[in-house]
Amino acid sequence: MTGFQIPRNSLVWMLAAQIAVIAPHVPRLPVWVTSICVGCCFWRVMVYQGRWSYPGRWAKVVFVVAGLIGLGVGYKGRVYGLEPAVALLVIAFVFKLLEMQHKRDAYIVILLGYFVAITEFLFFQSIPYAFYMLFAVVLITAALIGLNQTQSHLQPLKTLKLAATLMVQSIPMMLVLFILFPRIAPLWTVPLESQAAKSGVTDRMSPGDIASLSLSPELAFKASFSGAIPAPGQLYWRGLVLENYDGKTWTRRANLTDSIWRNKQSKPVWAKDIERLGSTQSYSIILEPTRQNWLFSLATADLPANADIAMLDDYTLAYVHRRGVTAKFKYAVTSDLQYRLETELSDEVRQRNTSLPSDSNPRTRELVSAILALASNDADYVNRVLSYFADEKFAYTLQPPKLGDDDIDEFLFDSQRGFCEHYAGSFVFMMRAAGVPARVVLGYQGGEYNARANYIAVHQFDAHSWAEVWYEGRGWVRVDPTQMVSPERIQRGLESAVAEEDTFLANSPLSWLKYRQLLWLQDLRQQLGAIGHYWDNWVVGYNPRTQLEFLSTYFEDINASRLGLLMLTTFFVLLGIVALFVLRSRNTRLLTAVDQQYLRFCQLLGKQGLARQPGEGPWRYSERVSQARPDLAPAVTRVTQEYTRMNYDLGAPNNSKALKKAVSAFRIKALTTSV
Amino acid sequence: MANTDDYAGAPENRLWRSVWFQRWLNRRLPPANAVVLNQSNIFILPTRQGIYFLVLLFFMVLAAINYQNSLIFGLAFLLLSFFMVSILHTFGNLSGLTVQAGTARAAFAGEDASFSVRLSRQGERHHEAIVLGWDPERLIGADLIEAEAAQTRLFVQSKRRGRLNPGRLLIQTHYPVGLFRAWSWVDLDMAAVIYPRPVYAADLPTAIGVNPGDESQQRNGVDDFYGFRDYQPGDSLRHVAWKSFARTGDLLVKEFSTSVDRQVWLDWELFPNLDRESRLSRLCYWVVTLGKSDDEYGLRLPGLEVEPDKGPEHQERLLRELALFELQPPVSAVKT
Repeated sequence: MTGFQIPRNSLVWMLAAQIAVIAPHVPRLPVWVTSICVGCCFWRVMVYQGRWSYPGRWAKVVFVVAGLIGLGVGYKGRVYGLEPAVALLVIAFVFKLLEMQHKRDAYIVILLGYFVAITEFLFFQSIPYAFYMLFAVVLITAALIGLNQTQSHLQPLKTLKLAATLMVQSIPMMLVLFILFPRIAPLWTVPLESQAAKSGVTDRMSPGDIASLSLSPELAFKASFSGAIPAPGQLYWRGLVLENYDGKTWTRRANLTDSIWRNKQSKPVWAKDIERLGSTQSYSIILEPTRQNWLFSLATADLPANADIAMLDDYTLAYVHRRGVTAKFKYAVTSDLQYRLETELSDEVRQRNTSLPSDSNPRTRELVSAILALASNDADYVNRVLSYFADEKFAYTLQPPKLGDDDIDEFLFDSQRGFCEHYAGSFVFMMRAAGVPARVVLGYQGGEYNARANYIAVHQFDAHSWAEVWYEGRGWVRVDPTQMVSPERIQRGLESAVAEEDTFLANSPLSWLKYRQLLWLQDLRQQLGAIGHYWDNWVVGYNPRTQLEFLSTYFEDINASRLGLLMLTTFFVLLGIVALFVLRSRNTRLLTAVDQQYLRFCQLLGKQGLARQPGEGPWRYSERVSQARPDLAPAVTRVTQEYTRMNYDLGAPNNSKALKKAVSAFRIKALTTSV
Repeated sequence: MANTDDYAGAPENRLWRSVWFQRWLNRRLPPANAVVLNQSNIFILPTRQGIYFLVLLFFMVLAAINYQNSLIFGLAFLLLSFFMVSILHTFGNLSGLTVQAGTARAAFAGEDASFSVRLSRQGERHHEAIVLGWDPERLIGADLIEAEAAQTRLFVQSKRRGRLNPGRLLIQTHYPVGLFRAWSWVDLDMAAVIYPRPVYAADLPTAIGVNPGDESQQRNGVDDFYGFRDYQPGDSLRHVAWKSFARTGDLLVKEFSTSVDRQVWLDWELFPNLDRESRLSRLCYWVVTLGKSDDEYGLRLPGLEVEPDKGPEHQERLLRELALFELQPPVSAVKT
């Protein structure tokens, strides 16, 4: 069977599709995998041209074994992740190309191609990607069509056009299925986890280790408020609370999330410790995939009625599935901006939030003692510490010097330069050193308002850390020491805070956000942002809940069987319409207007019992009718005259009006005389 | 395109061959000289690749559910719709075709009988990669892209003498996407006459059946020069008048006459110890052999006598008599 040659039409599109499908994966794939892809495509072209031959059996075995070992080594044995899985799929996809000796193999390559195409959506779900993948799918389909054409068919563009036609005809039914197919919750936890793609705020903070903070312009999440949007100074998006400190690094409590894996949606007993005092805000957040479990909300959020979300005992929200947020995740939250949180502090929590490793940062401890001696109470102490930050020559910078072992001492007394993490970390240290319960909070602060679609876009560079201090009678209160040093950071965002040192998005020279001062660009960006927002809301964010919400606005009593029936009915009605289009448009030979008129005339006569016989010419027919119905003879003769004149007399004006008139006259005559 | 990959589950399948199904097919698709393919005679089912495609879609939907990824849902639904739309296109590729019986050419038993079949389209629609044939191993592909009609010649191996009815012609297509196979079995009511397999028999016993003819001169002998006539294909080159050809450029053949005029009777009784088919085979051999000579030959079979004569029509008539001897109802080509 080595005689089988993939039709050229198919091979051309197969290679094109392969490139199109793999290209977006390239930044995530190891370089050697990409080289294999290029090599295999090249080899296949050589085989087609007859210069090289297919690899032998042993060569193939070596390739496959080498590929598998390469993956194992390259991903350090962690082959169950998402990237290794994609890399494996890609390698199989290109190796199969070299083994494509039977038609069956070609089908496998094409089906693999479709599957590789969907994996792209595990990483990106924006509008450009969606259209790009649609294009890639058209290419794959063209390869599929080429495979079923005869070798002699050498018009690749026609093949592509047919593929596009097929896809366009499929779109209406796709929309029906998309909207009406019952969306259900995940059937099981997906074992594939990504190692590399975690993004956004992490669950640890060690400011002393960072010499240059590179913040990305990527979107973190978008928030749409149902009411007025709170002032920028109010927009503290709480994500994680860091309570543990080892002298260098702030981390989350180790067993914090254990309970939620076991007990997904039960309102925790300690939730009664929230006292809500008003300024209620309802908003929904579309979180970009983080592959992490923390969710962001304004303090202090109520536990949303959402089975995917749990609340931890530090009053942050968490995504209950271990894999983390793998796709854009939309959730609705209600927060009260005025609150009293945990006014009764248990000994355990107090102990945890006042503990420090002993003997570190002696100079800071001296400072703490000095301030504490002047302070009348906890609140006064906090204010004095904040004034210390305000009065000393602290500077806000994204390029702080690296700090040594006693990093807080060095920061407070020597460098005095840092960003939010330095300020929050040293502030909490100073609180705990004085015995005041305090903890670090990580999240985002602020955001950019898009007036077109009325939402706030929070970017990665809006990441922020601040402190929470516990007061007797008031509970946990947010304190942001960064505000003392750089009020612009809070009121106007990072860009203005670092305007002088010009480090805003220094690593992303091409980011649009860098050029926000160009008004027209800003306008265009807001417009695109608005479109993307609707896309995220209605397409990417279309999940079991939004489906139910959406459908119940149109159908009063919605249930699964009705939905299924509705889906099938509309699906097949649309398929019927497409069928009419596909089967009719190409089947009927186009009749000229003249022929149409004459056929109408014949039909009318047929109703009178004088149907035209097959093979009977117009004149002969006319004579037969005239003999049978002398009363109709003049009208019939006239129609026949007009018809033959238009069809056979080349000099005759080519319009059917005269014939139409004659046929109408005949019709009136026939109707009036037949009764 | 005679590729076994193209041919998934056709008449070998037990159901298709069952008596019940054949009867149903005969009612639904009665034998006819020309058949227009349409919804009443086209069958369509997914191919193995089509089933694999559905399995793939199942996994895509599973991935979409588990990752709660709307865009994967969208792509899976697009491909599902595409799967359904491809039914229409595959069906449309066959629908509207007219399959028309052409000529059937006779053959000797064991050789290939050939049947010509004409495909033509109605309307503007292109038909691509249409595959047809009686023998699943020997399918022929045809395209109707620019052309309005295509003539194909299909070969069927014959087994026994008689009238070979090749049965239902399979006409199928996987175009455009190979996920579906649309096909029809049309009975074009064609039959080819299959002559007995010629079996060498020793020289004719000359005493029997050879009549001394009158002494008048007959053309086409070998003895005496008689005149010239135009060359016809098949004439011996030894008889070409090469000198005349060199001079005029016209190919002429010298004709000779022979005075020997044999009339041979090919008689059923010449082979007394053989069974019917063996006798027919030997008679067939002689009909073929004598057809190449100048002799006149006649045929005597039980209940039939054909006067001696010569020429292609005569030969064909005798072969036909041999082919159909004692076999009036046509035999079917369905393999046993």
